[in-house]
Amino acid sequence: MDYLVQQIKTVLGKNDDLFLQRDYIANTPVVLLGFTTLVDLNKTRDFLHHYAKSAFSEDKLIDEFWSMLGKEEEADTKKAISSIYEGKLIITFENTNRYITVEPVTKTLDRSIDVPSNENVMQGPLVSFTENIETNIGIVRKQFPSSNLSVTSFLTGPNKTKKVSLLFMDGRADKELVEIIQNKIEEKIEMDISHIQSLTKMMGFSSWETVPKFHTTDLPFQVVQCLKKGRVILFVDDIPLALCLPILLEDMFIDENDRNFPLFLMIAIRTLRVLGILVTLIFPGLYVALVSVNPEVLQIDLALTVAHSREGVPYPALVEIILMLVILELILEATIRLPKSVGPTITMVGGIILGQAVVEAKLVSNLLIIVLAATTIANSTIIGFQQAVSIRLYKYILVVLAAAFGLIGLATGLVFTIAYLASVNTFGRPYIYVNLQRNEKQ
Amino acid sequence: MAKSLHVISIYILSHLGLIFFLYPGNILASTSQGHWAPILLGVTLHFIFILIYLKGLSFFPNKDIISIYSGIGKIPTFLFLIPVLIYFIMVIIITVRAYAEIINIVFLTHTPIWAIMILLLSMITYLAAKGIEVIFRTGLILAFIFLPIILFIMILSFENADWRYAIPIDTDFRFLTKPDFFESFFAFAGGFLFLGFVQPYFSYGKKGVVVAALILIPFFIFSVYIPVLTFGPHTASTLFMPFVVVLDSLSINWLMFERVTMFFLISLICFVTIYTSMTTWKAIRIINHYIPSIKPIFLLLSLSVLVFFTCLLVAPTWEDVNKLFRWNAFFRFYSIISIPLSLCFLGLRLKRKGKNETI
Repeated sequence: MDYLVQQIKTVLGKNDDLFLQRDYIANTPVVLLGFTTLVDLNKTRDFLHHYAKSAFSEDKLIDEFWSMLGKEEEADTKKAISSIYEGKLIITFENTNRYITVEPVTKTLDRSIDVPSNENVMQGPLVSFTENIETNIGIVRKQFPSSNLSVTSFLTGPNKTKKVSLLFMDGRADKELVEIIQNKIEEKIEMDISHIQSLTKMMGFSSWETVPKFHTTDLPFQVVQCLKKGRVILFVDDIPLALCLPILLEDMFIDENDRNFPLFLMIAIRTLRVLGILVTLIFPGLYVALVSVNPEVLQIDLALTVAHSREGVPYPALVEIILMLVILELILEATIRLPKSVGPTITMVGGIILGQAVVEAKLVSNLLIIVLAATTIANSTIIGFQQAVSIRLYKYILVVLAAAFGLIGLATGLVFTIAYLASVNTFGRPYIYVNLQRNEKQ
Repeated sequence: MAKSLHVISIYILSHLGLIFFLYPGNILASTSQGHWAPILLGVTLHFIFILIYLKGLSFFPNKDIISIYSGIGKIPTFLFLIPVLIYFIMVIIITVRAYAEIINIVFLTHTPIWAIMILLLSMITYLAAKGIEVIFRTGLILAFIFLPIILFIMILSFENADWRYAIPIDTDFRFLTKPDFFESFFAFAGGFLFLGFVQPYFSYGKKGVVVAALILIPFFIFSVYIPVLTFGPHTASTLFMPFVVVLDSLSINWLMFERVTMFFLISLICFVTIYTSMTTWKAIRIINHYIPSIKPIFLLLSLSVLVFFTCLLVAPTWEDVNKLFRWNAFFRFYSIISIPLSLCFLGLRLKRKGKNETI
């Protein structure tokens, strides 16, 4: 056997899915090498034979035929092996050390384009991104056929196999931002990017910020609108999401799909979402403040009703609400974790606990259940799961401050939260970005 | 980047935070009838000074007043900046102490005052540490959330108004002899000085500031006239913080809350926090100009600790706060008069020089 094939076999021989198939293509004895798990061997062979036949019927020279298949290489075993790992087919010529790397017919290992599973779309395009980065960029190109769309790709990781692509719109996108991102990627191109956290590290963001650094979406429509607004999109191989930079506060309540509604309805819907954010933040704290520190704010009948509903509850409002909030968070987490067939059980059990049993057992007040339900529902109106989680976190600060200082503590907590959000920025682009002229510019 | 919206909102916020507490009381104490005269005089002076100030600043595009003064020598810098610094520090002490007192009276009767001061100071320090841009953005968001509440309650507060109390409208100028009138300038002063500090970070249109100042005029008038119309001038002048008392006297059946005051005060306290953190940031800028070797964050922390202990030790009662308030009058007037005038003078001189050189 040839030296090259021998070499490849000693390195990859441990893998059962390696194939070494002798064949005659265009009357030349060759050995085909690849992984059966990645390459559809039968179809590829059919294709090669068919291709050879048609090439010779057009009177092409044999060298011309090979060069059309792929670039010929000499004795570079390392490169051949890494090509095999990438799912390519290697054709080696017998009795020589030359080989060609060919793009084979691959096994379908990707999910087909599907409806979005992380977000729901009302009356809008239903296509969503998949794990295949090429497909994702293709979808964007299809929805946004513009000469201004720039796609720059980088191969990252220790073996340079993980593809990261940067999409932006020439002329609209912040040039400085694009440059910074490109430099950051090139600086740490050896880094292994397998999740968003590693990408955060690559970008050099602090790991301890509670606001997500990327606006994640799996809707191409959203991405196209982001591009048009001059934002930058990052795609990473095997992450079925588009990562939009810089992230803005408005991503929490502005969904581009809203523009499929009449303007007035759009404004109404967005106002509702802003309200959702405020309710999520304020309601639990307000309950604690009104029940335990400042009941005099309420009208006397209302204050009495509140007091009555808390009759027999054995612990302070702070403990009561934290206890129930934690249970609620556990339910939320459990429903994500469980398979779809078991999920409803959790909903049912949670419903029983939160709905009736806890109140009847006099462990928490009726009112608290209403507050909790309102908070959870309001939290679900926020766009983007990551942002919703970060907002979910701040309410605890408000609850604790409200328990200590009542209404004024609640307000202080709100100011703290807003100040924190105001201090967040992406390469100097503020998270809270209000510019009314923006729409006129476009 | 033009950020007029930020500047307008901060301008309105910081003034609103100051207007409703001490200003009505001061005006009511300065005259017994025709309150419009001291208000109008104050507002006019306010306008004159901001216009002079803006004119002066417009000679030095993209420069803050520290770099303007340091461009002309050490002595003038010292002469102008140190009194302003003292004024700022006094303002921080007075606001923290006064608002802690207000919170103590209205919200948290059982909470010790030092705990409230720690809460306020920690918020102020946090904001000041984050810098002016964060303060501005926070202010903008707070304006979106709280301004509607303030407007709503302002409208509600006319509930018990009796317009006959507005007459007699004639007045004399005896209020000019009363110290209370000059104390009322607390609401005007300090609020506009920030315009000279934010220049390299935020640029803004002159028009925006004037619009903001115009928007504020009705608030100045109503903060005095609502108590007058509700209780009559003589009763109103005996009250401590008349506007707050008016709000407490409201009873609105269809609202589920008994005391709308709370929400009004909360909004104002948030605004005051913004104002005070801005003042703290300005003070730190000046201190850092003189002591550049120490990191601003350490200066800030030591200033906060200093303010905390001063509030605790120097001004344990409301009378002491009032005394501080009076002592600060000199610095207050010095800052609001000397800074705009000197800037305008320097600007004109610079312009003349420039002209001479080109000729």
